[in-house]
Amino acid sequence: MPAELYDREVTCDLLVVGSEGAGGPTAIFAARSGANVLIISKGKISSCGASQMAGADFNLDGENALKIGLPGDDRDSPDRFFEDLVREGFYLSNQKIVEKYVEYAAKNTKDLLDWGMPVYRFEQVHAEEMARGLISSGVKWVRAIRRQVRELDIPMLEDTMVVDLLTRDGRVIGAVALDLKTGEIILIMAKAVVLCTGGWQYAYHFNTASIDLTGDGQAMAFRAGAELLGMEMVQYAPLTMLWPPIARKSIIPYILCETEAGPLIQLLNSEGERFMEKYDPNTMEQSTKEIVAIGTELEVVAGRGSPHGGAFFALKHLTPDGVDFIWSKYKEFLDENKDNRPEFRTLLPYLFERSKTEDLEVGNAAHFMPGGIKVNELTETSIPGLYAAGECSGGLWGSVRVASACTQVSAQGRIAGEVCPGYMKEVEHQGPDLSKLEEIHERITKPLKSKEGVSPFDLLKRMHAITEEHLKVIKDGPGLEKAYRELSRMRREEAPRLYVSASKTKTLNYEWELCLELQNMLLCLEMYSQGCLTREESRGVHYRSDFPHTDNDNWCVNTVFSNQDGDPILSTEDPVVTKVQPPKGKMSFNQAVESATASLKRRGVE
Amino acid sequence: MGENTIKVKCLRYDPAVDKKPHYKKYKVPMQEDDMSVHDCLEYIRSNLDPSLAYFINCRHGFCLRCSLRVNGKVVLACETKVEDDMTLEPVNMDTIIRDLWCEST
Repeated sequence: MPAELYDREVTCDLLVVGSEGAGGPTAIFAARSGANVLIISKGKISSCGASQMAGADFNLDGENALKIGLPGDDRDSPDRFFEDLVREGFYLSNQKIVEKYVEYAAKNTKDLLDWGMPVYRFEQVHAEEMARGLISSGVKWVRAIRRQVRELDIPMLEDTMVVDLLTRDGRVIGAVALDLKTGEIILIMAKAVVLCTGGWQYAYHFNTASIDLTGDGQAMAFRAGAELLGMEMVQYAPLTMLWPPIARKSIIPYILCETEAGPLIQLLNSEGERFMEKYDPNTMEQSTKEIVAIGTELEVVAGRGSPHGGAFFALKHLTPDGVDFIWSKYKEFLDENKDNRPEFRTLLPYLFERSKTEDLEVGNAAHFMPGGIKVNELTETSIPGLYAAGECSGGLWGSVRVASACTQVSAQGRIAGEVCPGYMKEVEHQGPDLSKLEEIHERITKPLKSKEGVSPFDLLKRMHAITEEHLKVIKDGPGLEKAYRELSRMRREEAPRLYVSASKTKTLNYEWELCLELQNMLLCLEMYSQGCLTREESRGVHYRSDFPHTDNDNWCVNTVFSNQDGDPILSTEDPVVTKVQPPKGKMSFNQAVESATASLKRRGVE
Repeated sequence: MGENTIKVKCLRYDPAVDKKPHYKKYKVPMQEDDMSVHDCLEYIRSNLDPSLAYFINCRHGFCLRCSLRVNGKVVLACETKVEDDMTLEPVNMDTIIRDLWCEST
């Protein structure tokens, strides 16, 4: 094999791409069954991706909670939890995956407790009628995983980006990665690969995530021929800090909305009106994320937004010593749980202090991707040897995530780790297809070799501008059409011409990394705009002003994206149903939300 | 300096091409409210000098990898406010991999 196509070669049974909430359990369970596992992480374990930043809440039905000694509610049951998830997801979920989620929610809670993750509280989260949420900290969660990974001595390549998968005879046989610290290309031969790469939030100008979430898993799976599902579903977090810049992208205002007594925060428009009165007078700022996001955006569109394009987040009504009192209560809670996360210890008091005299700004940020690589309940994709777990996968949530993502990634990670070893016993290692390897090598090295082309920072700005102009919460046909055409053109014509414009040094060359990431983000955004344009209705997180009804007669179906000569082709398929039949008929968006969330604890109504 | 820009002096060192570390100066527009050292580095890399190597990830103190020295003091870039005439250096000058990245990053 020509050595110039790679610098190093590694062989393992199972390659796990990602080291956090999903990748950790995958690797841990596979390693426990004796598999030779390798983890590759684009960052460092417990310091990258979305898991570290989680609040964090985990879900567990009341019946199973009681079994492990948590204060669960005996009115609750796995069946009830299942039905809530399907209904609140507007019936697009793969119900077999939801069943597994509920089953493994119980198992993985026990895992995490065994691994030493502390529990702060067991309470209502996601507005459930009864306590189903275990509250901890994302940082403590990922550190508990890290301890297990180290204890099992699982080999890891950190600061290393997996760029593409290798396939042969229709199955995945390995991958090619770039060591970001040295610029070396690594050939990894594996019997199976599990993608645990998270979302693609960085494709959006305004997002809540770390900058490493660039759709690498979704894009490499697509390039390898796997199908993707529900890519038009992107969940926005309203109440994300927009201003001042030092607080930008933080979702810490949420904790001020989650109180039993009602929201502490008031969301105001530029005229000082508490505008949620118009959109959901019963629950106000505690309405669903989707309704708050739409309300905020309607105010901005009507010219009543804040200076930086959002809404004002006001605490002045509490009075200065009232604000101090609330901070003292949070501080007690943090002290009690020995929680030293800087977002809580430094940023939160800073925001409290300023809120005494000013109204700061919040807006809608891209937060979570309910869609992704199409998998079944065993995390298997449409390609043998390729698995996907966690946020990069699609099928669990339908059209909106209504429960814990931490539980999703833990559950699916464990399932992948349990399922892969069986497959790996059946297959042998295979050598790479040389022409495929050459093609990937060329794609990686071209930006570095090229003396001219498209600047990645320039393309990033133009891509982000499209998300600000056309791909916000409220979308319409003409805007989507424009976005889709432009993103598709950028992916096909500009992405192959991306080049490293400044330093050609291979070590820690972020411009080089960004060239590769942009190809992935553009592909995800293209599918997103294509899906939004095709789905002529509104459902869950998907809202179109020109089709504001939820259309169960025509659109209670999932979008599926398949690779035809490199381009995404869209088709639709019915959701997998086991117990809950989707309804018929058309409803206004508000009616649909009311009906899907009817059982939720609507705090404002009480 | 204009009212709305700040002066930033940043240590640069690429062992592949430089004999020794040196400093490079940048003028960065100041936002009209508190911005972080991290925002400032992001501005430099996106707009002035794509070759600058530093670490950013989560922006809000979870990953703890963006530590560097501002005017000699070790801080997290994401939670530290910018100031005029600031000097940015890696935490450990003896283990620089490139620019503001050192072995401990």
